[in-house]
Amino acid sequence: MSLDELELELRRLRGVLAVGFQEADGLLLAELQAGPDAYPELARDATLIANQGAVGPVAVEVVRWGDRGNASRDTRLRLVEITNDPAAAEIHVRLALDADEGVGRASTGHGLLAPVEATVAAIRVFLPDLRFVAGWARLVETTPDRRFLVVASVTDPDTQEHRRGAAEGASPIAAASRATLAALNRTIAPDLAPLL
Amino acid sequence: MPEPTTTLVNGTLVTGTLVDTARLGSGLGSVYRALDLVVDGYGLDDAALVVDVPGLGRQVLHAGRRPIGDDTAHLHDAADGLYTEPPIDEPVVQELLLALGAIALRYDARPEPGVGAGIDPGAQGVA
Repeated sequence: MSLDELELELRRLRGVLAVGFQEADGLLLAELQAGPDAYPELARDATLIANQGAVGPVAVEVVRWGDRGNASRDTRLRLVEITNDPAAAEIHVRLALDADEGVGRASTGHGLLAPVEATVAAIRVFLPDLRFVAGWARLVETTPDRRFLVVASVTDPDTQEHRRGAAEGASPIAAASRATLAALNRTIAPDLAPLL
Repeated sequence: MPEPTTTLVNGTLVTGTLVDTARLGSGLGSVYRALDLVVDGYGLDDAALVVDVPGLGRQVLHAGRRPIGDDTAHLHDAADGLYTEPPIDEPVVQELLLALGAIALRYDARPEPGVGAGIDPGAQGVA
């Protein structure tokens, strides 16, 4: 199946508005933007099609938009800022859910894992029972215009369940934090909804 | 304007202009080639086309097949049209792109889609 055919098959799924691809380190990332008429099993169907159609490993992310263009995104945590505290050798990640904010901290000594840890810690401000912990982060591409693509992984230590996300950023740290949100936002959305 | 690319397709060297893609390739491939042409020709940072066609509904095509991500341009909610960064005041180009997008996706969305029937002169590794 060519990339055109794969994209067309994905666009045929009800509710799909846009399909984009990004390839990094042998992994094809397919992003689907879905409108309000998308159905609950869209992610499953898209993953099946993508795995049948892609030559190598493929990951699918579905971004859902509601009736007013923002319903599903409302239940997503938003990265507000990332700051450093050199005196404490810490990185601080500030996330927002609607008007509420939470800050997570991690030691800068942990390298690129630090923004993942700080992001997970910030998520715990909203969801103290979050079962995922930081796993790893890897810089997979630096674009000619100095954008950084990072893949981050989080793990449930009890079930060994992994969630991986990829994101771009102006720095590897910003990309790693966004990738962590990409890995978890869909999973935690149902738990965040009652907080709104 | 970008130089046409030459690609080996089914053992034949094919020059991958927009016209070649429209003749031999898919509707989707033609739209993406056209968006690339607009981006390169006008020196733009970005371009996307929003088009509503029977069979597929409203579709957003981002230059380079790139993900929309957070969609800061609100393309998911935008009316039909060509959206560029920076904006260009070229109504004829915008209307032509919109028309190409509509007819190309209608072509691909047929019960026997054109995607599988054609070859994409610009695609790498097509055998």
